[in-house]
Amino acid sequence: MRTTRPRARAVAVLLLGAVAALVLVGPAGPATAADGEDRQTIRVGTEGTYRPYSYEDGGRLTGYDIDVMRAVADEAGLDVDFVEGGFDSLFPELDAGRIDAIANQITINPERASRYLFTRPYTYSRGVIVTAEDNDDITSIDDVRGKRAAQSETSNWAEVARDAGADVQSVDSFAQQALLLRNGQVDVVINDNIAVLDFLASQRDPGIKIVADVDDEISRQALVFRKDEQALRDRADQALQRLAADGTLREISEKYFKADVSVEDGGEADPEGTGGTTSWDLVQEAAGPMVWGAIKGTIPLTVISFVVGLAIALVTALARMSSSRWLRAPARVYISIIRGTPLLVQLFIIYFGLPQIGIDLPSLVAACVAFSLNVGGYAAEIIRSSILSVPRGQFEAATTIGMDYRQTMRRIVLPQASRIAVPPLSNTLLSLIKDTSLASVVLVNELLREADKVAQNAGNYMALYLLAAAYYWVICFVVSVGQGRLEKKLGKYSV
Amino acid sequence: MTNLVEVTGLQKAFGDNVVLRDVGFTAERGTCTALLGPSGSGKTTVLRSLNVLETPEAGVVRIADAEVDFGATVGRGERARQVRRLRSRSGMVFQSHHLFPHKTVLANITEGPVQVQKRPAAEAEEKARALLEQVGLAGREAAYPSQLSGGQQQRVGIARALALEPEVVLLDEPTSALDPELVGEVLAVVRDLAQQGWTMIIVTHEIRFARDVADQVLFLSDGVVAERGGAEVLTDPQEERTRRFLSRVLEAG
Repeated sequence: MRTTRPRARAVAVLLLGAVAALVLVGPAGPATAADGEDRQTIRVGTEGTYRPYSYEDGGRLTGYDIDVMRAVADEAGLDVDFVEGGFDSLFPELDAGRIDAIANQITINPERASRYLFTRPYTYSRGVIVTAEDNDDITSIDDVRGKRAAQSETSNWAEVARDAGADVQSVDSFAQQALLLRNGQVDVVINDNIAVLDFLASQRDPGIKIVADVDDEISRQALVFRKDEQALRDRADQALQRLAADGTLREISEKYFKADVSVEDGGEADPEGTGGTTSWDLVQEAAGPMVWGAIKGTIPLTVISFVVGLAIALVTALARMSSSRWLRAPARVYISIIRGTPLLVQLFIIYFGLPQIGIDLPSLVAACVAFSLNVGGYAAEIIRSSILSVPRGQFEAATTIGMDYRQTMRRIVLPQASRIAVPPLSNTLLSLIKDTSLASVVLVNELLREADKVAQNAGNYMALYLLAAAYYWVICFVVSVGQGRLEKKLGKYSV
Repeated sequence: MTNLVEVTGLQKAFGDNVVLRDVGFTAERGTCTALLGPSGSGKTTVLRSLNVLETPEAGVVRIADAEVDFGATVGRGERARQVRRLRSRSGMVFQSHHLFPHKTVLANITEGPVQVQKRPAAEAEEKARALLEQVGLAGREAAYPSQLSGGQQQRVGIARALALEPEVVLLDEPTSALDPELVGEVLAVVRDLAQQGWTMIIVTHEIRFARDVADQVLFLSDGVVAERGGAEVLTDPQEERTRRFLSRVLEAG
């Protein structure tokens, strides 16, 4: 293809352009602090899986913190837009400027107070020590030393456990922590008394118990803002003050806890819990939202990433086969990086890393970029080897009838290569469908995350993860049937 | 008669292996030139140099009004233009046909005229049907190459080359990949073309065929044209190398 250099070069320029465009798309994220008083909408991070503070009930976000936050926004004249994510992603999200505040029982401590802005507290709670029901080794905080504890890595309770000498393992939600506790995989969990009481009231057979308070100290939870959000924090703080004064906070609290936790001595909380749900209840509850998660998350994410990824792959493959070193080298480096690093790390770099250098992508866009680049790297080699497997004589025949590089590729080589490429590309697609579940960690509301939310709230994983697996299997099955048909169609000329 | 094809001073090496030392010849319009020689003598390389599937290091190839001087220093864009022009003057028939497997017989033939020469599809199809009839394949328009026999495939290959209405048809051992019983049908088509006055240059091992059809025989050996003449070269060779080659081939045949 000696005579085709200029074409290949143009193609490579396109490749670089496409990648650049992908990376740069939408750095114009929602406004940040500069807007100050004028802002209409406040984005608030919350777990959505932390009963009774922040959880979903029939697909609708609710809970004490949620109600408080809504009341605060209402009082302060703001619209509120909740962003759900695992606890350990909340502070990174806040740092990245993707959310403006967190409403998730964030305990005020000196370390956080030095880095963030707190409002006045709206919850007073106690830390309690939780163990498996049949564990009698631990009766006070002094017994925690040397024991295995499960905590959210970035939570206040993780620090308390660590200070008490526990070996802390990072586990995101309380429901998962409770499960590990019951299974004997960890010995102890320290958490907020109300969350634990609610959990106990929500399980038919919780298998865990509260053994003691951490100490006499009352911990205080408040809304938290970034340091540069002074004006916004002040508005929320004043609103909270008014809500406390007019009894709104007490009302909300009593609705959930039959006590007022918004003041220091408001009585012993007694959360209602769910009274226990069966796996069948949960499956029914999750089935619908999971279909929506597939339709609004998994499937568009897959389709967009696959199409964009294939375009990147084609350009990369052509660059990789170019006679110009300046095209080959970057293509090779790109493929090497994509294939040599974990997809999850790529996703984290794009979602959590890029905002630090000013490129702030919404979660769905970030996931699309990550998956597209990933597909591009893998499919490039598939396309390249498919093109190489088209006999040389086909290039020569096209050349002798006068075709140029583009015509040869488009009309002669790629149609033949595509048939060779269909089976391996189908594998890429099937992998992609399953890999999109990783997007749940960057808060894309896809299939697994919808299952996860229900599972976390109920502390029941088996039924919902099996259901999620079944959903993925069905999607993959449909795709593989489609693959068979496509192969048949493309292969009609070889009898 | 004027020389339609003119080749002078062609040189080509693959690494250390010098294939063409200094090849030159001419071919008149409407004649059939047979290129013969032992394997490795460079006859296929000569043929592939005529449409620049191989790029010689030096030498000049001219077909009709298109000329490329491979030894000359010209810009890349200018060279590409020259090469494109030269290529458009010839049609190529490959040893193993290289038909496009994903296209029907008809589409194989119309691909060049429609996509490259931008002729109307209807006109190109009409012409393709006529060509198929000429090569004895009327009615097989909708077949895919894989549904044809080797001889039929090669005849489609010939039709594809003719569809571009080239000045000269280049045939690279068109029968050597075929089963013996299929050779005859392809040679009959080539013979037919010669009678119609197509200018052809054919690399072949079919001595008897060359004797019957060729107006000019070129015997290549060690990278040069060792002997050149009419068909009588094959019955009464002057060169010792030619004689040895012929006796070997005829014995084997």
